[in-house]
Amino acid sequence: MAAHKKTGARHHRIIVWSLLSLVGLTLLLPLIPYAVAYVNPETGGVPNPGADLWRAVREADVGTTQVQGVDTGVLINANGERWRHFRMNQLIPIGAMLMGSVLALIVLFYLVRGPLRIQGGPSGKKIQRFSVFERITHWFTVSLFWLLALTGLILLYGRFVLIPVLGPEGFGLTASACKEAHNLFGPMFLVAILMMFVTFVKDNIYARGDLNWLLKGGGMLGGGHVSAGRFNAGEKIWFWIAVLGGLVLSASGLVLDFAVFGQGRAVMEISHVLHGIAALVVITVSFGHVYLGTAGVEGTIGSMTNGYVDEAWAKTHHDRWYAEVKAAAGKTEEAGSVGGGATASSVVSPVRDG
Amino acid sequence: MARMKFLCDAQRCIECNACVTACKNENEVPWGVNRRRVVTINDGSPGERSMSVACMHCSDAPCAAVCPVDCFYTTDDGVVLHDKDICIGCGYCFYACPFGAPQFPKSEAFGSRGKMDKCTFCGGGPEADNSPEEYAKYGSNRLAEGKLPLCAEMCATRSLIAGDGDTVSEIFRERVTWRGASGLTWGWGVAYGKKGIRRGHDVEGKATGGD
Repeated sequence: MAAHKKTGARHHRIIVWSLLSLVGLTLLLPLIPYAVAYVNPETGGVPNPGADLWRAVREADVGTTQVQGVDTGVLINANGERWRHFRMNQLIPIGAMLMGSVLALIVLFYLVRGPLRIQGGPSGKKIQRFSVFERITHWFTVSLFWLLALTGLILLYGRFVLIPVLGPEGFGLTASACKEAHNLFGPMFLVAILMMFVTFVKDNIYARGDLNWLLKGGGMLGGGHVSAGRFNAGEKIWFWIAVLGGLVLSASGLVLDFAVFGQGRAVMEISHVLHGIAALVVITVSFGHVYLGTAGVEGTIGSMTNGYVDEAWAKTHHDRWYAEVKAAAGKTEEAGSVGGGATASSVVSPVRDG
Repeated sequence: MARMKFLCDAQRCIECNACVTACKNENEVPWGVNRRRVVTINDGSPGERSMSVACMHCSDAPCAAVCPVDCFYTTDDGVVLHDKDICIGCGYCFYACPFGAPQFPKSEAFGSRGKMDKCTFCGGGPEADNSPEEYAKYGSNRLAEGKLPLCAEMCATRSLIAGDGDTVSEIFRERVTWRGASGLTWGWGVAYGKKGIRRGHDVEGKATGGD
């Protein structure tokens, strides 16, 4: 019995070691050529100058050609595949996820939290928040922005969303109109962004209290309202995202729009990357701006339609601005001797009308 | 079914540009458009190579992948064609193409791109074969007549070959077998029948200094 046990154990050992060495050699033996190549890189046999030449060509080595035009001397466009990967596998899916998730969050926030109410309800007294010129600037930018955003999004996502609906010919026509509109109105967006900047920059510089506002999340997640000036820190961040994003969009857009200055494919590809990223960021953040300006905060929409908001709204959301306006109005009231009775009525103008 | 392929034998191309001219003439391409071009690398130096390049009718064509209006289609012969009625002239196919094949006639205001034009492997477009509409938009449809692209048919040195991929690669394999590895077929020895490489010169014909 004991001898049997002994031979049994030996057989067992032999089997295990054979299997182990078999597996080990299977893994190690194929590495030998690599090791040889690593130790002696010259083992390639006869050198092949052709291989070096074509390797250089693949990295967009520039040659000469009789055909005139941009990049005609380049045999292989090395960035093409990288750009394709960016547009098809990164920009399109990530952009859709970004916009979709932010929209979903906004809807969820509205359902859970509802609109932010005016503290103590509307007072019925109105105060002017935006002058005619400020509103024109805003809506001029808005019109251009949505025209460009929608045409741009159709060009980016239409192939997947609209071709099944309109058919290839129908969508071809739509996309052609979108491209022409995008290219025609695009350069005007630069004008709108510069007007925006000039009109609103003075109230969008960082001021004391902005950091505090940000740390408290603007009072949006509960915990009461946070003190703010004419624009709160959130609005200021949106202003700078819109202006800087708008400048990136305009600059890259002009490069893409006017393909007549001999800019090559590499420049166009980089411009497209910047244009796509900036557009999706600005569009996504604009969802938040639109929400807070309409359904999200009670009584805000009036500031951009007729220019007036409720005094209680101003006290609730922009207490420091309200105090400034009141102080300024008080001064004009003192200066104006006869008209005092009129200003005491329901409308107080901060003398901003342009 | 045949899988159509172009192949340019860089050992044979002499940069005569006959393929470019033949293409322009056969297809009556718009002004400023060259569907085919010859690029020379290391022009004027030993080791110079020329290659005729146009649309290579890729299997996984990048132009078709990035087209916002999905206007590209691949025929049963493996030829990548596009529909100019759908094309919007955005230029994305030109950014993505490895070969610089898509061309844009500068016909519109402010340099705005017209509809893309590219090599059709002399295969026309979606219109009826050899109809006047097809010819006006896409040029000749030689494939429908059982002929191969004119650029390759015209090539004097038979550098540019076009046709079924199997046949093309068989021709090229025969050439390579006959003349040896690619890097060793340049220079005096091969050209003038001396065996081996010229003394005192490397395989590219560059003087090495020694005897």
